[in-house]
Amino acid sequence: MLLVSTDPAHSLADALDLPLGARPRAVRGAPGLHAAEMDADRALERWMGARRRPLRTIAERGTYLDEEDVDRFLRLSLPGVDELIGLVELARLSRAAPYREVVVDTAPTGHTLRLLAMPATLRRLASVLDDMHAKHRFLAQSLGSEYRPDAADALIDELEREGRGLTELLRDPQRCTFVWIALAEMLSVEETRDGVRALEAAGIRVSEIVVNAVSRPPARRDALGGARARAEQDALAAMRAAFPRYPIRLVPAQPREPRGIPALRSMARALRAPGGLLPPRRRTARRVPLPRRAAPPPRGAPVAPVLDVIAPAGVRLLAFAGKGGVGKTTCAAAAAIALADRPQAPRVLLLSTDPAHSIADVLGTPLDDTERPVPGTAARLRARELDAERAFQERRERYRAAVDELFAAVLRGTRLDVAFDREVVQQLIDLAPPGLDELFAILTVIEALFHRAPAPYDVIVLDTAPTGHALRLLEMPAAALEWVHALIAILLKYRAVVGLGELAADLVEIARDLRALQELLRDAARARMVVVTRAADLPRLETDRLLARLRALDIAVSAVLVNAVPPGDEGAPRPSASHTRYAMICAPAVFPPPRGVAELRHWVRRWE
Amino acid sequence: MIILDTLLIGGIKFVFRKLAEAVDAQLNDDSVLREELLAAQMRLELGEIDEAQFAEIERELLQRIREIRERTQGAALEPGEYRVSGIEATFGGDERDDDDTDTAPRRR
Repeated sequence: MLLVSTDPAHSLADALDLPLGARPRAVRGAPGLHAAEMDADRALERWMGARRRPLRTIAERGTYLDEEDVDRFLRLSLPGVDELIGLVELARLSRAAPYREVVVDTAPTGHTLRLLAMPATLRRLASVLDDMHAKHRFLAQSLGSEYRPDAADALIDELEREGRGLTELLRDPQRCTFVWIALAEMLSVEETRDGVRALEAAGIRVSEIVVNAVSRPPARRDALGGARARAEQDALAAMRAAFPRYPIRLVPAQPREPRGIPALRSMARALRAPGGLLPPRRRTARRVPLPRRAAPPPRGAPVAPVLDVIAPAGVRLLAFAGKGGVGKTTCAAAAAIALADRPQAPRVLLLSTDPAHSIADVLGTPLDDTERPVPGTAARLRARELDAERAFQERRERYRAAVDELFAAVLRGTRLDVAFDREVVQQLIDLAPPGLDELFAILTVIEALFHRAPAPYDVIVLDTAPTGHALRLLEMPAAALEWVHALIAILLKYRAVVGLGELAADLVEIARDLRALQELLRDAARARMVVVTRAADLPRLETDRLLARLRALDIAVSAVLVNAVPPGDEGAPRPSASHTRYAMICAPAVFPPPRGVAELRHWVRRWE
Repeated sequence: MIILDTLLIGGIKFVFRKLAEAVDAQLNDDSVLREELLAAQMRLELGEIDEAQFAEIERELLQRIREIRERTQGAALEPGEYRVSGIEATFGGDERDDDDTDTAPRRR
């Protein structure tokens, strides 16, 4: 059996308490089990290695680009590489050795849904390449010689075959099932609802929903434990109501965080335990009662005291990052409300860039892909859940013109070939590129920071996708700039053929914006990160790695925010060595977790 | 009569065409220079030229754009009077006259 993690921020080695790499290795203490942590960049490099030549051939035959141009594009780093190569690499790993089963630890919801859409993208890519190549075949045939398929055709066939095979595999319940892991929290219920619905829509079978870390019955005097248990029961009732047909398995919270093979073994027993299933829906289909809400704080109470640590005056971009499930969204929303309450610089935008959005659920107000005022903040706070796919559809027409212009330059534009070219261009535009979420997030941030009329936002609070993709987001300005530069170079080179159009002017502007954003990100006075974590080993280890990467990216961290800290000494988090160089803020555990503007406002004042 | 009409209308057409061409040429000059400027910005973006080189190119191009604009604006001064004189001047001339007469109307 092979166990693989496809999350760019791996935790598998931490959980197994073993060093792991991209190459599967035997897990000591678990005979027959091999494990690996996928390295998407390396996987893509390997994949490209053998295929660079046929790709180049197709591009040369099908476009105006010469070898130098094509190589330039093939050298560029690809955004969305984790999604692009993940399934292909999985297929390769499982072909390389005959594993009976492959267990995949995926990235958090949003990006896993993107990963699963990739087989369709592969097939579309095959189709685009095929169209590019069709011209070559047509010309070869019309010159009278019999056309003999070569490596280029083989590559197109391979892509199409791989895409089709993966689509079939994912949809075949005999060969592939999903186990959905959730927590006994309302936010998790809502994410599960969206996620499982998306899987169903894609024809992928979810065999079971596992609710992890359900707390044990509290001691009689334990008020906080009692509140937690009640909140969890409400969440479980909501889960049952949302999924009447699915088996829902409860896994009790382990007394100690399960790390290492023996601890995981005992957890495995809990997973198989009879009676672990949530009973079918209760006969009385009672509505889930709304949990009791804390009274809003009196008006005129002081703004959250830690705000000046998190976002000193002058900070324009404040991003919340951390492992999935630590409470990033709740923290980001609470901080955004507190920032909008500040008398100075009160125009605040809370922007969720995680494709699995939660800010509407946390704020308790409906949201979508437009910036909407959040009720209860005197319209000083606006919020938006970025929908990259929709944004892309909307702009598609605009892109069509721009890409048409570019490809008029790049594709062989003789009269004979016009029909081929049009097909290629249209298909290229339909091919939503991987990394779309990160790309549109960056463009949206640029717009809101630099260009919004009548006045740009004072502060943008970013609720990012969990760690791995938050880092991809921060790397996106550099990756996008590479692409923009490559396009500019192509336009300059073929200037004599097509002249410089609006596209050139647009590209120059985008390049400037991207550089302005890069500068802002590296300026501690204007951009800050808050790293959200929990007082447990796995989040702590991931936080260490995240902090190291942020240092390498030269991005300032305001604070490490430890969420859901129980009162009293026992709950006090022990900072790890690498955390100590940052301010540490504790956000108190509240059950049920704060929801809605009034509760969030109250809660953020208790951060210390 | 018909011949006269043809001559008359032909003459006016000729004037307008020449005027349009002249204006076009100037506009085109302007757009060519703008494209030069854009190309310079692109080179700067790619690091092919540095800020100082770009500043020099920009200064020169902007100066030329300004000159063109001044010329165009100067010619467009008092448009009513200018149009009338243009037509008068050419009406007396020969439409088949191919020599390089000054088509830009003189200001009185």
